[in-house]
Amino acid sequence: MAALAFTPHIHRPPTPSPSTPRIPKPIARHKTERRVSVQTSASLQTSFSDPFVLQLAEALEDSLPSSSSSSSVSLPLQNLRDNSSETLLSTPWPSRKDEPFRYTDTSFIKSSQVQPVSHPPQSLSISSDTQFPNFVIADGFAVNSVSDLSGLPNEVFVGNLLDISSESILKRVSEFVSKGSEGDLFWSINGIGAPDLTVVYVPAGCIVENPIHLRYFSIEGGEEGSSKLPISNPRVFVFVEKGGEIGIIEEFLGGDGNKSYWANAVLEVVVEEGGKVRHSYIQKQSFSAAHIKWTSVRQESNSTYELVEVSTGGRLSRHNLHITQLGPDTVTELSTFHLAVSDQTQDLHSKLVLDHPRGYSRQLHKCIVSHSLGQAVFDGNIKVNRYAQQTDAGQLTRSLLLEPRATVNVKPNLQIIADDVKCSHGAAISDLEETQLFYFRARGIDAETARKALVLSFGAEVIQQLPYPSVRKEIETHFKELLEPAIKASS
Amino acid sequence: MALNLLPYPPCTLSSPPQSYSSSSATSSVPFTRYASPSNSLLFTLTATRPLPFRTNHARRHLTPLSASLSTFDSPSTSGSHGKKKLLLEVKDLTAVIAESGKEILKGVNLSVYEGEVHAVMGKNGSGKSTFAKVLVGHPDYEVTGGSVVFKGENLLEMEAEERSLAGLFMSFQSPIEIPGVSNIDFLNMAYNARRRKLNLPELGPIEFYAYIFPKLDLVNMKTDFLNRNVNEGFSGGERKRNEILQLAVLGADLSILDEIDSGLDVDALRDVAKAVNSLLTTQNSVLMITHYQRLIEFIKPAYIHIMEDGKIVKTGDISIAKILEKGGFKAIS
Ligand SMILES: Nc1ncnc2c1ncn2[C@@H]1O[C@H](COP(=O)(O)OP(=O)(O)OP(=O)(O)O)[C@@H](O)[C@H]1O
Ligand SMILES: [Mg+2]
Repeated sequence: MAALAFTPHIHRPPTPSPSTPRIPKPIARHKTERRVSVQTSASLQTSFSDPFVLQLAEALEDSLPSSSSSSSVSLPLQNLRDNSSETLLSTPWPSRKDEPFRYTDTSFIKSSQVQPVSHPPQSLSISSDTQFPNFVIADGFAVNSVSDLSGLPNEVFVGNLLDISSESILKRVSEFVSKGSEGDLFWSINGIGAPDLTVVYVPAGCIVENPIHLRYFSIEGGEEGSSKLPISNPRVFVFVEKGGEIGIIEEFLGGDGNKSYWANAVLEVVVEEGGKVRHSYIQKQSFSAAHIKWTSVRQESNSTYELVEVSTGGRLSRHNLHITQLGPDTVTELSTFHLAVSDQTQDLHSKLVLDHPRGYSRQLHKCIVSHSLGQAVFDGNIKVNRYAQQTDAGQLTRSLLLEPRATVNVKPNLQIIADDVKCSHGAAISDLEETQLFYFRARGIDAETARKALVLSFGAEVIQQLPYPSVRKEIETHFKELLEPAIKASS
Repeated sequence: MALNLLPYPPCTLSSPPQSYSSSSATSSVPFTRYASPSNSLLFTLTATRPLPFRTNHARRHLTPLSASLSTFDSPSTSGSHGKKKLLLEVKDLTAVIAESGKEILKGVNLSVYEGEVHAVMGKNGSGKSTFAKVLVGHPDYEVTGGSVVFKGENLLEMEAEERSLAGLFMSFQSPIEIPGVSNIDFLNMAYNARRRKLNLPELGPIEFYAYIFPKLDLVNMKTDFLNRNVNEGFSGGERKRNEILQLAVLGADLSILDEIDSGLDVDALRDVAKAVNSLLTTQNSVLMITHYQRLIEFIKPAYIHIMEDGKIVKTGDISIAKILEKGGFKAIS
């Protein structure tokens, strides 16, 4: 029932003729009043629905065992699915004509055989190379048997929505799940396809010492070069109540070999007043994979959200990062590093909205492209609204291109509507700095060694900010290994 | 019907027109090309001229200038080179700024013998730093004429790193920051480059630490400077000390010190001068660039050269500096 093959080239019908209204087959079987009304009132709009998107949505719904018996689906999840299918009806597959995808070509996904993974992996052997409490999500399914949550305080909950036994936690979580999001098509696809919602709940005042390590594995995959593209839709909701603090390590890993698959993940974070989330996000997918990731963060007053991202994998990797400061005196710090060592696209689209007084934000984005067909894309929007007085916002992006024809498209932009603000902003695209290189050589260090040290140091500025030495070390090694051939070739 | 045609999904991230942001909104950045610089790793150590003397600098590198035992006997009174060996010989050196072709050095002549201390003084912009940087092979400049022989070899044919390995050291007037590279890693890399050249095994981080630790005292630097990134966030004075630390670790036959005294407080100046003095032996030489009498009193050069508009226009002994201090440059011209 699951494996549906899609025809490679489906285009949105340019001007649908009114005489042949294409009313899509209803997506959900558990039709609601609302659904019906949407369909009728928007029949014109739905007639423009993208057939590819609809087929995908159908396949996703079919793949979920729960969609036939809605009793086993908790309400927040059901709402999520309903909202998502509704949005999906009017959202076409993005094309390069759409501004958010101007430099990011998603057509290879469309021309692949996208197949939802309908069950957790049969067997899973995972080396437990983490010293932290960890939770495993494989092909979008939580795998409790290989997770290890010891080391977390009892009052902290990490697990699936279905497994929440406390009424009060469930109630609190339901208040927030997928409210006020501004996601795109991929957000909605995840909303339909997520088999369950993983929840990380930190109660008020609880300061969690150990970070929780979320390990996402993609097991199903087509062999290198095949057009098979199994899709998985992991979805996690992190909810930190007043004054709570936790570290989240998200790590995305491919299985063995360069398998092709599509990980379409969503992370939602809510940090209540005075709370703090330190988020480490590490993406090491296979070079044949599509990796599309949403991180949506809502921060109440006085809260802190710190992100350190290192993304090296994927044939297409797109990170949508949306952060909204919902109260005054809120701190947001973002440090991201993208590396493209192969024929790949690394894309960060970030949006930070500062709406309240005395907000503080720092954003540093760095990328290295060391392949002539590699590409990095950065669209970083920071909006300082009228009431965000005495805001201190800084944004800096630096790119390093190590090969002829390596490409970077950067669009950092600060929109400032408030007038009493301190904002700095900059973008630089460079080869290695000649003066720095000379400093090494003047001390007897040959150009190749110097170049290597400088390239490594370029990424180190972000990697060094990962708060956990073990994670930092592992990423440093990974980074070095990936760069080794590139440095040799380019010198 | 056209009313309902939505060309974009409703949630596109388009920039509203009222954004009056900074230079920003560059929607695209053109391709940037990476050009690999020529990167010859071959040491062109074949002498291009007959060696006028034999040096055993290989042995000298084995024992990089030791921190202790500074029995530098100043030749300041003698003024004659005696039987000393010629270390550096610069003849009619001319150089331009590579980018603009503007001539900065207009025929520099200078000879430095082993064990000598020389000072170069001169107005701002007269070309002192340019001279120093040209000697160590800075890519901003292009030599257009003249010759430079260092220890019998044609210096101008050597890559910057070969010049360093051959025993030439320059402390920068404005040392730059290298974010992401720790000071100790940098020093370790530089030290190992020397070991490699001498066919000696490289030192790992722990062995190296043991080697470098005593040198910190010499420049009065705290250990935590080793773990910080090269010059990152260092004060002006700390950067100068860091340059001298590099000199102490690597050793040199000729050290060119470009304004190591600028930006130093009185105590720091004494520390740095003491460190330099302690690194001096009867074989190695110093070419210091300075504006001030103070450093000259500490280090006591035998020769003072005055540079003006890209040339050395006057050479004399330490008394020149005194005249300068009193009457300015017009008193000596
Ligand atoms: N890379 C460069 N690009 C442009 N101009 C340069 C460059 N290097 C040197 N110059 C110019 O060459 C002249 C000599 O500069 P240099 O730094 O050698 O002077 P200096 O004698 O060391 O001065 P100071 O005493 O101020 O350190 C100056 O006019 C300077 O502006
Ligand atoms: Mg100067």
